[in-house]
Amino acid sequence: MGFRELLKNKEFVILDGAMGTMLQAKGLKMGETPEVMNIEKPEWLLDIHRQYIEAGSDVIYANTFGGNRHKLAKCGYSVETLIGEGIRLARKAAEGHDTLVALDIGSIGQMLEPTGTLTFEEAYDIFKEMVIAGREADVIVFETMTDLYELKAAILAAKENSDLPIMCTMTFEENMRTFTGVDISAMCLTAEGLGVDALGVNCSLGPKELYPVVEKICQWTTLPVVVKPNAGLPDPVTNEYNCSAEEFAEFAEKLIPLGIKVIGGCCGTNPTYIAALKKMLEGKKYIEREVHIPAVCCSPTETVVIDQPRIIGERINPTGKKRFKQALLEGDIDYILGQAMEQIDAGADILDVNVGLPAIDEKAMMVKAVKALQGVCDVPLQLDSTIPEVMEAALRVYNGKPIVNSVNAEEKSLETVLPLVKKYGAAVVGLTLDENGIPKTADARFALAKKILDRAMSIGIRKEDVYIDCLTLTASAEQENVMQTVNAVYRVKHELGLRTVLGVSNISFGLPSREIVNHNFLMMCLTSGLDLPIMNPNIDSMTATVRTYKLLTNIDKNSMDFIAHYGADTSSPAPKAEKKSDMDLPYAIEHGLKGEGAEITAKLLETTDSMTIINEMLVPALDKAGEQFEKGKIFLPQLIQTAGVAQGCFEVIKQKMLAEGGSSVSKGKIILATVKGDIHDIGKNIVKVLLENYGYEVIDLGKDVDYQTVVDAAIENDVHLVGLSALMTTTLVSMEETIKLLRANNVDCKIMVGGAVVTPDYAEQIGADFYSKDAKQSVDIARQVFGN
Amino acid sequence: MNGQLQVVLENLNKNEALRYMGYGDTSPDENILSMMNECEKALLAVIKPCCVYHVFDIEEVGEGVAVYGTSLVLKGDAIREHLAGCCKVVLMAATLSAHADRVIRRYEATDMTRAVMADFLASAAVEQVCDAAEDSIGQEFSAYYRTWRFSPGYGDLPLDIQGSFLDVLQAQKRIGLNATENNILTPRKSVTAVIGLSENEIQKGRQGCSACNMKDVCQFRKRGDHCGV
Repeated sequence: MGFRELLKNKEFVILDGAMGTMLQAKGLKMGETPEVMNIEKPEWLLDIHRQYIEAGSDVIYANTFGGNRHKLAKCGYSVETLIGEGIRLARKAAEGHDTLVALDIGSIGQMLEPTGTLTFEEAYDIFKEMVIAGREADVIVFETMTDLYELKAAILAAKENSDLPIMCTMTFEENMRTFTGVDISAMCLTAEGLGVDALGVNCSLGPKELYPVVEKICQWTTLPVVVKPNAGLPDPVTNEYNCSAEEFAEFAEKLIPLGIKVIGGCCGTNPTYIAALKKMLEGKKYIEREVHIPAVCCSPTETVVIDQPRIIGERINPTGKKRFKQALLEGDIDYILGQAMEQIDAGADILDVNVGLPAIDEKAMMVKAVKALQGVCDVPLQLDSTIPEVMEAALRVYNGKPIVNSVNAEEKSLETVLPLVKKYGAAVVGLTLDENGIPKTADARFALAKKILDRAMSIGIRKEDVYIDCLTLTASAEQENVMQTVNAVYRVKHELGLRTVLGVSNISFGLPSREIVNHNFLMMCLTSGLDLPIMNPNIDSMTATVRTYKLLTNIDKNSMDFIAHYGADTSSPAPKAEKKSDMDLPYAIEHGLKGEGAEITAKLLETTDSMTIINEMLVPALDKAGEQFEKGKIFLPQLIQTAGVAQGCFEVIKQKMLAEGGSSVSKGKIILATVKGDIHDIGKNIVKVLLENYGYEVIDLGKDVDYQTVVDAAIENDVHLVGLSALMTTTLVSMEETIKLLRANNVDCKIMVGGAVVTPDYAEQIGADFYSKDAKQSVDIARQVFGN
Repeated sequence: MNGQLQVVLENLNKNEALRYMGYGDTSPDENILSMMNECEKALLAVIKPCCVYHVFDIEEVGEGVAVYGTSLVLKGDAIREHLAGCCKVVLMAATLSAHADRVIRRYEATDMTRAVMADFLASAAVEQVCDAAEDSIGQEFSAYYRTWRFSPGYGDLPLDIQGSFLDVLQAQKRIGLNATENNILTPRKSVTAVIGLSENEIQKGRQGCSACNMKDVCQFRKRGDHCGV
């Protein structure tokens, strides 16, 4: 009987207990690689497996938990050898029994980007190698995971390189989250969406403490639930676990009414615990759960249930936005992140991400943007592209359950998009249009919505994961059809029972007072059943409309949210920073007044040209701050704050120049990179802020940058100044290697280096042209190089 | 002799963070202080400071100090000197959790001034976690005299033991602490350290700057200050 049949046919599936505890009892030293014992002490493994089989395990985990190329790097054996041998030993022990063998895979032991340096793609490769090495197993188990992103890489590696069933468990703390903050609902939604066979929790806590965790897992998945607890909690002094085998079984028994299916033991448990479990389970019946998972999307840390109107922020989209287009052309991810944070602060529940521009590699930019956004934002993302390859790339690297925007009722669209939605477990927005365009009537749009829903469900997409966009037409051009959209929303919501999406601001194109039209149309649609308005949350009247709707429909109980946002209106306004009536730009910069700086710049631009403002006001003000910094009169935060105000001024100048069709301001291009292996990039980022505010165009390659990447970027962009940063003694060598490669490729550029461990002598020794002791000095160097 | 501590920080050491920023004896203005309070609040709301430690017997060997019951050898003259006369060591690893990194990253996207402040505050905070952990360990082993905290990378104790150090403490599983291939701890605001335990009083030996391999490039020393070790 295979694992899937076991799940179906047996009341309960019993796993084994701890491997590490057993190996240590046999003499494994702390810090030694357990998987090496597969070769050096096979008799230990055979004995451990046999004890667990005798105790009643239906599945035994092979000794392969840490058998990845990263952890095995120094042990002298390959992944193939140790995993292959681990599975073989488990098989041998199981001879003559019905026991199944699991390929056991734990965390890689390195954090994924952005906190760590391991990329999602590298993690996938590491897991792929393990999955292939363990192909002789009956089931693949991913356990003790704390990062949802790592788990996703693991599941994809298993699904794409094996047909074996998959079971996955994460480790949750008492606060119901993992170390990296992953919520239980996010694990369940993501892993079930990706198509695993069973999921649950292991390690960290005992069965008693895991009760609330298991309870929540049982509410968030329709799959069989797995529990592999520790033998209680470890004593902080002796490290002995506090739960006997009998108590373990007793507490585990209380989990049965929750509807668990698969159970075993983790740290501190041994065959006695498994025998006690088996005894406890005798004659017990599995409790079928009735679970309804709502319409929902999630990031690792935030689960958004679509049980009330939720705002999808529309601002990450270049359509009609010159400044955004420029940011995409320049690869300026910071601009996109700024837009994201602004929308979240204004009330967006979900962010739409569209980076489509004919002149750029949309796929590469989409992957970069999704990774960067999920590194700082908690809200879930709606991935928006018309190109299937871009969509798939985005779906792969998204961490959680996203929304796909969009599919339509054309055959070609249904055939390409829906399978992607299914494979990655996403939700999808269906547009009510087909080969013939957008139908005029609500009836016809309703029919297309039904067609999309039927097709989605026919390939196994849940009804709750299909959201319908009935499409907003422009009132100025097709006034007679506006109500068709409103009526279609009503029918889709109430007759099909689906969630509805609508981009609302199209309604007012070509009309005066667009805002009035937009928020009234929004209220009409909300009343008709709109769940997900795609809109600009920065416009107060729009978010106010949504909040008012929630207040009036009793969704916002006791008006809590409404009062939280608007209750302060009656109180006295917060005191504003001292404002000189004749305040000029230098004053605003010196005093860190960002808003005022931007206002003054906008006013100045009416009478003064951009370069004059930059050269005669911004730069002298920055110079003054730089001098004071050097003299110890102001300190780092103030220097950066000054640059921050200048940054706001520059932003206004850039917008103006773009609006007038002019090119951007640039005194010269500079590459900045934190060298390979180093992830401390705050120093480099400070340098970047300062250089940009002196008018230099900075190409920021980020942290942990490969040598060749620096060379390629320098050649491709014809850059004459490269700045390299390193903070660790261990990564100084990367700085030297990068310089060597730049020189070997005859790149015509000067190189400046800086960072905590770099000295002037060292800079000279490794062939740098300049040593920069701080951000201020990097500006002096840039001036020297570019002569401006 | 294997512990895990959840450390609760009620406030972060702003004076220390200001010192890292070069303020020395100068007092920051109201504006800077209010921004720091905001950053402190943002960090305190999300960080999960914790520490794991384990006590081992030790033995001096040719290349340094061997840690009993493990495959770990602490290499170099500096650690040998540091642990001279000690019969045991405490290996400890502390972290603020990945949430601190996220707060800093988020500020970097919106406001570099706050990002820098949060970064320095988090650096000060992880030292507070270590101090709290050390106090607790000190109470647990009150019968012993103890050395100051010595971390991989100080003197000639190589950084490349970070991986094995974390393995011995099972720090990845227990507190989510990892090392990159270049031996940088992740989450970023984390520390590993060795504390020697001795039955006899420990002579106040080499400490701080003289043992530090950063002494020639240190910005604190250049301005007549020290980093606090």
